[in-house]
Amino acid sequence: MNRFCLVCQNVDCKSRGSEEIMKDLQERVAAKGLTDVEVRSYMCFGACQEGPNMVLYPDRFWYAGVKSEDLDDIVEHMAGGPAVDRLDKIDPSLKELIYQLLDTGVF
Amino acid sequence: MEGILFPRGVPEGLEGLDAYRARGGYQTVERLAEMSPEEVVAKVEASGLRGRGGAGFPTGRKLALTLECPETPHYVVMNGGEDEPGSKKDRVLMENVPHLILDGIILAAYAVQAEKAYLYINHGYEAATRAVETAVEEARQAGYCGADIAGSGFSLEIVMVAAPSNYVAGEDTAALEVIEGKDPLPRQKPPFPVTEGLFGKPSLVNNVETLANIAPIVNKGPESYRSFGTAESPGTMVFSLGDEMERPGVYELPLGTPLRHLVEECGGGLKSGKAIKAILPGGPSSGFLLPEGLDLPLDHDSLREAGSSIGCGVVKVLTEDDSVLDEVVRIADFFAQESCGQCPACRMETNMLAALLKKVQAGEGNDALVEQFGKLIAFNKGKGFCSLINMPGPPIESAVRLFPEEFRGA
Repeated sequence: MNRFCLVCQNVDCKSRGSEEIMKDLQERVAAKGLTDVEVRSYMCFGACQEGPNMVLYPDRFWYAGVKSEDLDDIVEHMAGGPAVDRLDKIDPSLKELIYQLLDTGVF
Repeated sequence: MEGILFPRGVPEGLEGLDAYRARGGYQTVERLAEMSPEEVVAKVEASGLRGRGGAGFPTGRKLALTLECPETPHYVVMNGGEDEPGSKKDRVLMENVPHLILDGIILAAYAVQAEKAYLYINHGYEAATRAVETAVEEARQAGYCGADIAGSGFSLEIVMVAAPSNYVAGEDTAALEVIEGKDPLPRQKPPFPVTEGLFGKPSLVNNVETLANIAPIVNKGPESYRSFGTAESPGTMVFSLGDEMERPGVYELPLGTPLRHLVEECGGGLKSGKAIKAILPGGPSSGFLLPEGLDLPLDHDSLREAGSSIGCGVVKVLTEDDSVLDEVVRIADFFAQESCGQCPACRMETNMLAALLKKVQAGEGNDALVEQFGKLIAFNKGKGFCSLINMPGPPIESAVRLFPEEFRGA
């Protein structure tokens, strides 16, 4: 296992349903047999108004405003399918800041 | 040493109405009709008084801005939330010299033509609340507040409000929210309270110590006030020393007094007798100073030039045995905990900084990780409604700069 799908579980994302989304995603990832991806919670990505937010790392892909109907496409992307470009809507400078923080190992 | 607020520079117990009058208190209020609101504003402007709540904004300017707002009514709010860790000056002022504060509130309210003053006091401060309540009652009986003060035609109602004791509740607009019956959440600024404050009306919100300085300025004149302090930072300031000192407590000193005088003469040096490693001269949001910083004058500009700030005068001294890293972790945790969470950038920044610092504390520090502090701080600067988002920056960045060895990996 060497990839992470980090799902924000701070107040705002939670209020937008990120707990259920994380659980749902964990089940779908397991059902798909993606043993190299661990879905786990994250403290905050600083994009609360765009939540629920999740970041696929080290792939460096940010899914914003995730709904349960997006999860199949996300799992496909994790399995090597096309990127879910419609969920890629975060300001590049914030993305870069967060990716660099993740590079230092803040999980 | 002679003081402006405390006659001998240190609190000496509750000063009652008679004792306060005996040192010239309420003399302007007793002849209020003889001085115009504009004259009161002009005196405070001439005094050069800067807000003592941490930001150091010119108080006279604030009074003038509030007075000139055509919209009515106007309000005055005394901010006695005092939630800064280690700060006890506002509590001590309220417990010891409530009439001095009240005299200032009445004069400030007259200056901005406010009809109501709200006294917002940390709800944990029972003795201070009682002292202020008693003073308000005594002043009312003496005709210093209430209807038609000293035949001037000016009336002032005073209302007490209990402040929640979390950190952001002491932010000026969060105080306004609480007084309006809402949760203590800072508002986006602008608009500033001087134009749109309490109930959307022009409001003067000042820290307790700031208001305590108004009566001495108006009663004795700005020239007398300026005989204390420096040209840019006139007057005195009340500093808080913690339990690491031989004599903890609050001390009123003229601005510009060397930090060494406060630490060594007033505080009696460190209780442990150890050598000083670092000083945080203005509370947890100020930058660290090295021991040679003891020779700096305690005033707004000198400390800013030295990469720190005077804040609200809470001085913390670290010994040679203390870890600056541990102190910075405590500070980062404090801000992460106290961030109210309504601004995404602040929530992310304060949580991230605390998490990064804990990695360093766990011996997992490295150059790439330490570099992230500055990036995070710069990225988020000014992106919150209030200034909490900017607060972890100075202590963390100065600690990394002055004590790099503590931030390297194990």
